[in-house]
Amino acid sequence: MNKAPLVFLGVLFTLSLSWWGMVYSPAIQLGGETPDKGDGTALKPRVGLARQGEQVYRENGCYYCHTRTATGGQFGYKLQITRLDLNGTITDSAIGGADKMLPVIKQAYRFKAVAKAADALKTELGKTEGKSDAAIKAAKEAKATAVKEVKSAELNLEKNLKALGISGVSLDKDLSLECGLPAEKNATQKKLVANAQVTITSGIKQWSDIEAKVKKLKAAKARFRLQPVASDWPDRQNLVAMRQSVSRDFLFDAHAMPGVMRIGPDLSNVGGRLIGADNDAYAHIYNPQSTGKSSHMPPYRYLFHRKKITEDEALPTTAITVTIKGDKRSVEPGYAVTPTAKARALLAFLKSLRTDSALPEAPIVEQAAATSAGTREK
Amino acid sequence: MSDTTDSSAPIATEAPPEAINASCRGPVLFLFFSAALWLVDAAGIGVLGSFKVHMPGFLADCPLFTYGRLQANAWVAFLFGFAGNAGLGITLWMLSRLRGMPLARPGFVVAGTILWNAGVTAAMVGISLGDQSGVAGLELPKYASRVLLIGQAFIAFSAILTYFSRRHKQLYPSTWYLIASLVAFPWIIGTAHWLLVEAPVRGAAQIPLGHWAATSLVQIWLGCIGLAAVIYFIPKIIQRELYSRQWTFLGFWMLLLLGGWVNLNSGAPLPVWQIKLSQLASGFFLLVVIAVSWNLRQTLKGVPLLSSEDLTLRFMGFALSAWIVAGLLTFCNVCPSWNAILQFTYANTAIRHLFAWGFFAMSMIGAVYYVAPRLIGPTLDWPCARIYHWIYRFIAVGVVIVVLAGVGMAYRHGLALQSTGIESEVLQSRALMPMRAAFLGEVLFLVGSLIFLGSMLCLLVRNCCGECSLMSLWRQCRSTKVEGGAK
Repeated sequence: MNKAPLVFLGVLFTLSLSWWGMVYSPAIQLGGETPDKGDGTALKPRVGLARQGEQVYRENGCYYCHTRTATGGQFGYKLQITRLDLNGTITDSAIGGADKMLPVIKQAYRFKAVAKAADALKTELGKTEGKSDAAIKAAKEAKATAVKEVKSAELNLEKNLKALGISGVSLDKDLSLECGLPAEKNATQKKLVANAQVTITSGIKQWSDIEAKVKKLKAAKARFRLQPVASDWPDRQNLVAMRQSVSRDFLFDAHAMPGVMRIGPDLSNVGGRLIGADNDAYAHIYNPQSTGKSSHMPPYRYLFHRKKITEDEALPTTAITVTIKGDKRSVEPGYAVTPTAKARALLAFLKSLRTDSALPEAPIVEQAAATSAGTREK
Repeated sequence: MSDTTDSSAPIATEAPPEAINASCRGPVLFLFFSAALWLVDAAGIGVLGSFKVHMPGFLADCPLFTYGRLQANAWVAFLFGFAGNAGLGITLWMLSRLRGMPLARPGFVVAGTILWNAGVTAAMVGISLGDQSGVAGLELPKYASRVLLIGQAFIAFSAILTYFSRRHKQLYPSTWYLIASLVAFPWIIGTAHWLLVEAPVRGAAQIPLGHWAATSLVQIWLGCIGLAAVIYFIPKIIQRELYSRQWTFLGFWMLLLLGGWVNLNSGAPLPVWQIKLSQLASGFFLLVVIAVSWNLRQTLKGVPLLSSEDLTLRFMGFALSAWIVAGLLTFCNVCPSWNAILQFTYANTAIRHLFAWGFFAMSMIGAVYYVAPRLIGPTLDWPCARIYHWIYRFIAVGVVIVVLAGVGMAYRHGLALQSTGIESEVLQSRALMPMRAAFLGEVLFLVGSLIFLGSMLCLLVRNCCGECSLMSLWRQCRSTKVEGGAK
């Protein structure tokens, strides 16, 4: 350490190591990210007004008071059966404590049996050679028995439709009537069948708790879905966001600004909350206290045009209004306030901030039923 | 303390201290005075910005005064305005003294300082007009980065020539830190400028890069200059040898390696390995703290720092304490749950203030207290030396208030963020509470900065009047052959 060139080279080498760890490696990894969402769709780049809005957000230093970083948390799994295999059998032990769901699953197997018997009868009737009355009779009896078993279950219509949905079979009109189902299903009933699933864990259980069940379902060749449910996940439970923020949420940002402090609310999913609320958003930016709510956000009046109007003059349609106790009036009495191009750009940018669609690395997390009363998104 | 010479090689004669001080006088005083101006600027803008926490509508109709722009400007004024000028001034003086040679090419320093200050001014004007980079802690517009890099190159050129103008057998550890600071600045700013502005990396890759650049500037660039001053002045004033070069060696290299990696938020939208790397680095940062603090503790052995009669020693003592506390708070980030609570609160800003004001500003102001009068004349002292004590008191109390309010109250905010069902109004009031309490600390820091600027002005102006004018003293100093100042 007494040779200056050695110290100099050592410093350069050590700084290079530091650079390699936190600059080069992340740049290589994150620079290779693609917009593919894994379901045939892709993340869309921010263009036009929204892109200009990012500049407005940056130049005003909004990132000092707002983050765009919804954090992760603890979650459990909701295990849902969505389709049964004809030859598989699901027992009580496979679904454990969800025995209330067992009748629906059993009914789904009965529907499968009905469909199988109906197909067998059709085959017998459709034979041109070697048709046997005895075989037809046996097939008819088998079908009648299967239908009888379906009807004997005494489930209500909703459960029957759900069972039909997870059975995966399609019954014709006559067969539907025989089984006690409507011949023509209305839209709600069709949706019930199409989205049928049977939930067998509530979402509190961790993976280790349900791993055995998942193995049994796989053995029974059932199709199932694992839906994460927030258990100790403040940002999700407080409706800050629908899922955790990840690096690809910043993929098309010209300047990635994850934010410094949460003096104001997190904005990672603010776009999802601003749908159809342009006027309210403008009113909040113009005067955060305009609706009478407590807020310490500074007003950004310079982002708006103000034009004095008389009492008789009607407000332009583009004017920003507030509704207080049913009375709709200008956000600033005596003035018509309209957004400038910068305000419109800022709002377009805010509306582009959304985390309400799933990414493979960040699935949408369900809200646990008991903790649904979040208030922070306001 | 003083370096020994290598008898086996031809070595230039060591210059007398008065000659070294005389060579540094113009350029270094220019840097010091610029630093004092920028410090007041930074503190004043910071207070103005923080006042908006109390009155959100204050100056709200002017886009130049948004909270985000004021905070960015305050930090740029401190980091590049004060820290840059003061740090480079102390670097030049210490290198000259440690090498025992007059400052080489002082004209380059003056030119570099003019460029540097032009760069800081351009940055602040640019930020006010909306050109900030969007990277918290490194908001420099691109044109300002270029000017700063050129300015620093001019000053570094002089420093390097000074350094190589004489050979020594042994490099004092402060020299390692000063070399590192001179290398680190262009490395960090160059990387940030190239990869964030000229050829920006994609999307989220900017997040670790911005964090690395902002953290490295504080931990490595400022850390190296501040520690160089602490390691130089403490043994010098108490007239003891530094306890161990090996401990310094460990602390130095670990600081360079880990300084840019620490303090990444555990909730950052980045791959897990990057967050884990940062946590690991924060954990190992304890070694840096132990290496530096143990070394200086063994050097001091019973000599009080904070209650010392010597004001420079008190400044250095407070700076060292603040650095250790900031280092321990950095170490706490090894625990993800701790970081998860504080990551979006005022605590990070408070800890940054602890480092910037408590450690760096205190070490620099203490060093200026020692160096500046010696540059003007061997027998000179500060015009009102007692008032300089008030700089220490105001800044020390201000820093303590900011840290206690910032970390203590922000912890409650963090807990609220980690809870469910808390109303947004309650949450906002918890977010603002530490900032409102810290406002008092910021005002005290501003008062301390004003006194520092006033003291600098008095020091210069008093010597510009009558027989004691700056020019006559300068001539007198050049002709004198005796100097009473310490080496």
